[in-house]
Amino acid sequence: MIKTDIAVIGGGPAGICAAIDAAASGARVLLIDRNSQLGGQLIKQTHMFFGSQKQHASKRGIDIPGILAEEMKKYQDKIEVMLDATVLGLYEDWVLTVEQNGKYKKIAPRAIVVATGASERFPAFPNNDLPGIYGAGAVQTLMNVYGVLPGESVFMVGAGNIGLIVSYQLLQAGVKVKGVICRSPKYGGYAVHASKIRRMGVPIMPQHRVIYAHGKEKLERITLIKLDENKKEIPGTEFDIETDVLCISTGLTPLGELLWQIGCEMKFIRELSGHVPIRNEEMETSIPGIFVAGDVAGIEEASSAMVEGRLAGLCCAKRLGFVNPDFDELKQDYLKQLHDLRSGPEGDTIRKGLAKIVI
Amino acid sequence: MLKSTGIPTQKDLETVVPSKERLAKGPVAIMECFEKIPCNPCYTSCKRGAIKEFEDINDRPQLNVDICNGCGVCISNCPGLAIFVVDETYSETEALVKIPYEFSPLPEEGTYVTGLDREGKPVCRAKVVKVQNSKAQDRTPVVAIAVPKELSMVVRCLSLDDYYSDNTIVCRCEEVTLGEIREYIRKGYQTIEEIKRISRCGMGPCQGRTCSQLILEEIAKATGQDVADLKVHTYRQPTLPIKLGLLVGGEDDE
Amino acid sequence: MMNKTASVVIIGGGISGCAIAYSLAKKGVKDVVVVEREYLCSGATGRCGAGVRMQWGTEMNCKLAKYSIEFFETANEELEYEYDIEFKQGGYLIIAATEKEVEQFQKNIKLQNSLGIPSRYITPKEAKEIVPHMDETQILGAAFNPKDGHLNPFHTTQAYANAAQRLGVEIMKFTEVTGIDVENGKIKGVQTTKGYISTPVVVNAAGGYSQLISKMVGVEMPVFSERHQILVTEPVAPMQGPMFMSFSQNIYCQQTPHGSFIMGRGDPNEPRDLRITSSWDFLEEMAKTCIRLLPPLRELRMVRQWSGLYNMSPDRQPIYGPVKEVEGFYLACGFSGHGFMFGPVTGVVISEAILGEEPTIPVHMLGLDRFEKGELILEPSVV
Repeated sequence: MIKTDIAVIGGGPAGICAAIDAAASGARVLLIDRNSQLGGQLIKQTHMFFGSQKQHASKRGIDIPGILAEEMKKYQDKIEVMLDATVLGLYEDWVLTVEQNGKYKKIAPRAIVVATGASERFPAFPNNDLPGIYGAGAVQTLMNVYGVLPGESVFMVGAGNIGLIVSYQLLQAGVKVKGVICRSPKYGGYAVHASKIRRMGVPIMPQHRVIYAHGKEKLERITLIKLDENKKEIPGTEFDIETDVLCISTGLTPLGELLWQIGCEMKFIRELSGHVPIRNEEMETSIPGIFVAGDVAGIEEASSAMVEGRLAGLCCAKRLGFVNPDFDELKQDYLKQLHDLRSGPEGDTIRKGLAKIVI
Repeated sequence: MLKSTGIPTQKDLETVVPSKERLAKGPVAIMECFEKIPCNPCYTSCKRGAIKEFEDINDRPQLNVDICNGCGVCISNCPGLAIFVVDETYSETEALVKIPYEFSPLPEEGTYVTGLDREGKPVCRAKVVKVQNSKAQDRTPVVAIAVPKELSMVVRCLSLDDYYSDNTIVCRCEEVTLGEIREYIRKGYQTIEEIKRISRCGMGPCQGRTCSQLILEEIAKATGQDVADLKVHTYRQPTLPIKLGLLVGGEDDE
Repeated sequence: MMNKTASVVIIGGGISGCAIAYSLAKKGVKDVVVVEREYLCSGATGRCGAGVRMQWGTEMNCKLAKYSIEFFETANEELEYEYDIEFKQGGYLIIAATEKEVEQFQKNIKLQNSLGIPSRYITPKEAKEIVPHMDETQILGAAFNPKDGHLNPFHTTQAYANAAQRLGVEIMKFTEVTGIDVENGKIKGVQTTKGYISTPVVVNAAGGYSQLISKMVGVEMPVFSERHQILVTEPVAPMQGPMFMSFSQNIYCQQTPHGSFIMGRGDPNEPRDLRITSSWDFLEEMAKTCIRLLPPLRELRMVRQWSGLYNMSPDRQPIYGPVKEVEGFYLACGFSGHGFMFGPVTGVVISEAILGEEPTIPVHMLGLDRFEKGELILEPSVV
């Protein structure tokens, strides 16, 4: 049994920041991640980030783990990192069971920050299991981590920021992007991301849906259908497009399995893209001592995930008695940053969702 | 509509394009950021204070065009790649457009590329005047290209394929290059029918589907006419090639 | 609008008009003007099948063709053309499908040989060796002349036009003749959409529209214009050397140096108007005939069809020279489908007629008055 003050589950932007702030407050932290390097989805993000300087705006996602790692070094005597370690269960006695490199381990923390992120949503249509149909995350991993092209031509389903950004990254890798569709009359991502790929000649096609994938051994073409303004299919508007890769980027859903296991109170909040834990402004769930941060608490941008992580780490440490000397100041700053990030029209949905879940 | 097409409208653009007088004074930033999103590096990157302080991180950038000297530092700092610098004083006939370009390979200074508009459509040949790729730019290189002055507010991207070079194949069926077409036009073959006959352009299986528009544009450019006023070529049957065997009856169907 | 003066105005910018202009200029005539309603070759020249043959059934046509083909052999050099007229002498294989044709061909070949034309009568087996993809069981024999061939009508006309321009000829494109002034029985000038041209000499080389031009000076001609259709296929690897032709089966079919096959046929029911549209029944009939005689061509894809006007004279021979009604009005028309291949000789004999020189080939019997006199020798060998 491994003992620690705080176990942070998930080494993405939220988890790393939580570990840093918890350690900065004086707690011993075990940072657990199932991949062989920290950074989560950041390690695939080759584009510049939005936000302000505090969230490393204008820096590239891939560079942020490095910047955070530098910061972590300051607390290396406090933070232990467990890589290639998958948390299998969180039990009522707060024991975490972990599989790491073929070994089974148990961890007994005094408090937990769950920062497990999200999983990709996949729309249902016939043959959606054909080789050549990938999630956006898989395409990013192939391209940006392993340097492998997914194919010669890609059709993108989903025009949120991820769909638009991955389209841009595909273009950068020299792949032909044949089009981007979304169901709504307006695409969901930022206009600047859309303009970036549009001026490279990629058509953006709102009000379309994939209804069929064709191919024998692998994907050869897809059938699309037009939707009316209420996202209803318009019969007779089906047409085919040839493509060897279909990239699905129809959204993420919070990955809250561990929270369910331990019995946190969960609620389905459409604005936050799924079931999320009820929590207070310090990111503490209905079970005292269990905190959340990042996409598991509701799908948002990496910038807010990092701030949430810092806030959760800071407050989680305090829960155990490790009170940062600048606690009030830091907490107010983090809350202000979060408020600012969510204040614009783009943050409208998030604000609505949070109003339903933060107590 | 920007939020359905990704292409800013004329109305959007009117809010960011400086006056003629300002443009005549020299380089200036064009901030094509039309949506309130939580992002402010443009403001924090401008050391001259030309961009108004953000009260709210969701503010749209407000550029004071009289303070902005078009240095372009903000270009590489904009995560949305939405900032361009236009210098209409570059030469008598050309404007310099600075574009953030995150693709490899980078163009080489002195070579020719193709200027693309906001839809990615090729609109002109452009000379690469400068490629800046310093450490401070952090992998968002800035490419300065010279474009015809009237396209300074049109060109917003570039393609390394030099569509407008003499070597570009115009007619794929008959492998006729743009250079050949230009030579024919210079020699007085100034209608599409004449060019078709002298060069075979448009006589191939595609019947001019791809080349005729390009040829018309070249004629218009060379003769100072409007494409709309030019006669198009005769459209002859059939629209798609068909096997002789199929014309005589069913037994040869595949 | 500009008014100008010319020594000769040639109406029509096809092969005939450009060749006449060149020949006149070469003989030193200044101020020659060619007036073309559209662009050069926009009429029959640019629409023709562009085959050239010496194998004719009248002595006159044989001589005219032989002269012209011998000119084509050196035309690139003679006209100092910067491109290539693409002359290919793959011969003409004219098949005999009926006993009557066998008889006619043997007569023709005798005549042709007497004029120095190296044509010969061959068996179906020999014909098959020359065009391996033909169905030789359909024929009784064939006539073959290796000197016949094919060339590019646009480049050939352009070559003449460029050479003429270098010698001072003015070519007015996109200029339509709207009237011709005659005073006291003499040509005075030409009205055009781009101004008036004072001139004592007008040549009518207007192809399918020649009867309309003659009418402007009150000369009625017994000619009519008839649509002939044609198709071209995608280019393929060289497989057919000669032009393949049949009068009784109504087909000509040639592979150009570029690789595409050009083929056409006549239609006895063609209305005699000025239409140059295309029809689907032509395609079907053409494909049927072609596939029956040349079965492997069924696999070729046709890419385009078009049509042009034959300016048909009663004896299927050209109408050359002055007319007695109007002084200074010369005819170069009524070519009945052979105007392109007769281009070089047309240029020479018309320029000689205008200048009053001794003709290289005596063509006085090809004047318009032959139809009044009834001195007709009908050309039997026409598709």
